[in-house]
Amino acid sequence: MTIPDFLLAAAVFVLATVALGLVRILRGPEDADRMMATQLFGTGGIAALLLLGVATEARAVLDVALTLALLAAFASVAFVRSASSSEGDDPKETNSP
Amino acid sequence: MKNVSVRAAMARGAGFFGFWLVLIGTDPVDGVAGLFAAAAATGASLRLLPPGGGRLRYAVLARLALRFGQESIMGGVDVARRVLSVRLPLRPGFLVYPVRLPPGPACNTFGALTSVLPGTLPAGVDDHGALLYHCLDVEQPVAAQLAIDEGLLIRALGGTHDDT
Amino acid sequence: MSLVLDIFTIVAVSAGAFFFLAGTVGLLRFPDTLTRLHALTKADNLGLGLVVMGLLPQAEWPFDSIKLIAIWLFALLAGATVGQLMARAARREQTTP
Repeated sequence: MTIPDFLLAAAVFVLATVALGLVRILRGPEDADRMMATQLFGTGGIAALLLLGVATEARAVLDVALTLALLAAFASVAFVRSASSSEGDDPKETNSP
Repeated sequence: MKNVSVRAAMARGAGFFGFWLVLIGTDPVDGVAGLFAAAAATGASLRLLPPGGGRLRYAVLARLALRFGQESIMGGVDVARRVLSVRLPLRPGFLVYPVRLPPGPACNTFGALTSVLPGTLPAGVDDHGALLYHCLDVEQPVAAQLAIDEGLLIRALGGTHDDT
Repeated sequence: MSLVLDIFTIVAVSAGAFFFLAGTVGLLRFPDTLTRLHALTKADNLGLGLVVMGLLPQAEWPFDSIKLIAIWLFALLAGATVGQLMARAARREQTTP
């Protein structure tokens, strides 16, 4: 088994693992739990892309992973902000009680 | 003071342009766009994070990075052990940590650093400005570990261990 | 030399994949939102970190290597920010139901 084969197998394993975590989206119970499952899927997707990119020497895939890494954070921050503002609360939370 | 900010601007600009070269490549035509991007990034960074007076201590910073790596691995193994154990040994709870750093960038750095470390999760501040930590196991010596981390960070940022 | 590096890659990537597994199992097994957040932000970031570390000997120096590390740092920064924001939101839900 060569290194690229191993990296491809690892990519499949990571992707399958985090896909299993998507069960949390069905189960919930809170929206935050669902969001966490998508965040885990995002990180797992980045890892799988990196493994694929290095294994196949397709360097553009690394750029895709970089973009994904930047965008994944925005999704979660947007979620927290909208969830908090619907309760009339500021997520930035100052020192005032 | 003006001298300091010019030097900081030059250093940051060079850093951003270097990062651009790494991401995009060294084609001279692309480099022109890179110069604009680096200038914009420098402007934003100077405005959002003005250069401070304190000097970074790189030796302490390296020790902090080393400790960070060690703790990440140890904590990660600890979390993994709890996850995979049949009995699921958890004693979750909150811990009030009276943080010594004043509110601001340094304190935020401390929060970010400790949030990545396994076993601790900053969950906001209480009414007295102390940080609230959620722990997977409240019987672990979490506060003592946090104090060591904070001491190292304070020293790395150029402060002394004892000043308040 | 190359054999040593290949073994390093296999060990680090396998360890990273293991932490993705641990993160997913934690997301599914842990009892409440805050404990699940622990499993996610920790095991997950460590998983990506180890995958990146394992890929470094296989990537082209310096461009791909620095890009790999940058991706990891972005993910780490995002995880740290999002983790704290979500923990605050979850704590509010817990203390003021």
